[in-house]
Amino acid sequence: MFDVFKAMLDGVPWTIAVTLLSFTIGCLLGFPICWLRMSPFRVISFATASLVLIIRSIPPIVWLFFVFFGAGGGLLNLSPIAAAVTGLGIITAAQMSEVYRGALSAVPVGQYEAAHVLNLNARQRFVDIILPQMLRIVVPSAATYAISLLKDSAVASTIGVTDISAVAYQVTQQTFKGIEVYTTAALLYLLLSVPVALFSRWLGATLNTRISK
Amino acid sequence: MSSVSPVSTAAPSVIKVQKTEQAFLSLKGLHKSFGPYEVLHDVSLEMHKGEVLAIIGPSGSGKSTLLRCINQLSPPTAGSVSMDGVTIEAGCSSSRNDLVKLRRRIGMVFQSFNLFPHLTVLQNVSLAQVRTMGRSKRDADKKSLELLDRVGLANKAELYPARCSGGQQQRIAIARALALEPELMLFDEPTSALDPELGLEVLAVMKELANEGMSMIMVTHEMHFAETVSDRVVVMAEGRILEQGISREVMRNPQHERVVQFLRAVRDR
Ligand SMILES: Nc1ncnc2c1ncn2[C@@H]1O[C@H](COP(=O)(O)OP(=O)(O)O)[C@@H](O)[C@H]1O
Ligand SMILES: [Mg+2]
Repeated sequence: MFDVFKAMLDGVPWTIAVTLLSFTIGCLLGFPICWLRMSPFRVISFATASLVLIIRSIPPIVWLFFVFFGAGGGLLNLSPIAAAVTGLGIITAAQMSEVYRGALSAVPVGQYEAAHVLNLNARQRFVDIILPQMLRIVVPSAATYAISLLKDSAVASTIGVTDISAVAYQVTQQTFKGIEVYTTAALLYLLLSVPVALFSRWLGATLNTRISK
Repeated sequence: MSSVSPVSTAAPSVIKVQKTEQAFLSLKGLHKSFGPYEVLHDVSLEMHKGEVLAIIGPSGSGKSTLLRCINQLSPPTAGSVSMDGVTIEAGCSSSRNDLVKLRRRIGMVFQSFNLFPHLTVLQNVSLAQVRTMGRSKRDADKKSLELLDRVGLANKAELYPARCSGGQQQRIAIARALALEPELMLFDEPTSALDPELGLEVLAVMKELANEGMSMIMVTHEMHFAETVSDRVVVMAEGRILEQGISREVMRNPQHERVVQFLRAVRDR
């Protein structure tokens, strides 16, 4: 049992890498997508909305195969990890752009107006007033999404990333101890998601006590 | 104000000013449309420095829209706003410079306070001073504390707005606007969201401000306040100025049938 566990640990850094990198890319890329989505030019907002819908509707595994075998095979030469991070990063970006859009519309219009009549310029209005209030709204949904991304990152194993799921498959093939192996895998995913949940709770609570102090 | 005609006049009209006196704020032929709906029709108004104007009228008559046109928060679709040498002509791409100049001289207080919930009371009042006036944080905080003291809330400086009552929040909002040293203050129903007692503390601050000579335009439903504190009352209905004149005259002896009805309705409430 202990050998199984030790062998499985090899997958952990890859799972963390895929999750963390695609989450970071997605959180950053979500902003410009949200901005395009909210463009006053109908053509741009419609095109962005369609693209976001398409990306969100495709199962991650299909999307990943598309990036790795389709775009990767024909046009670019992507390593499995690069393809996994790109593919999941884009899905995350589409998802986060919608989270941001929801958060933006949840900031009362009076906040924009107050910032305006205080002569803050567009950058100051966003950075000093809107963004901090938006983040407060975003944290819980972002954390929920990060946990589901951690689980979805298992699809990276299908294109050859040696993450927890991939290692679990290999070890099962060698030892035939499927029950132990997959119990261990489940445990590892659980252990990784607990800190995310705790961190998000703590962050949410901290932000909330601050405004009600 | 001795310079104001003692007779209330029917709209649309510009209040008579002594020829020697240059109007401080002058609105000429303002129109405002939202899509196909025009909500302000040809509104003109003049005001002197130090004057206190109350705008009254039924809900939906365009009072808020007029205030927002003055500071260009919601730019008019036609007409012009001039204030002490700066003129913003609707439709002309007025230079950003003029727009900023105009806005800098005008402070605004909203019905819903709109304090920033993620900043402390002190930070609420200091932020724009640091960002737009180039004040150091220390100078800004000093000024903010003076102003908070003036509205009786220096002891709340370190709290977040959510911990303050509505009346306190509105006084903080007034301090926040005053911190930028405006020459004209716009108030859009500053007490309408408040219980009457809490409204009183806000009205007291406004009255003091008026006595100190601040030029003010306030949209209000507080008829007594309008009559006793403001120099002039402007009555609006359906996007037009129906009547305007010395407060007491308009309130006691309105000329326009529509205004008589409105005042009766408000008093019977
Ligand atoms: N942003 C807006 N879009 C469309 N219509 C608006 C908007 N703001 C105000 N209006 C309309 O303009 C009219 C005047 O509104 P407002 O100035 O708020 O009146 P008041 O402050 O006197 O109650 C109303 O009919 C209102 O529905
Ligand atoms: Mg209004």
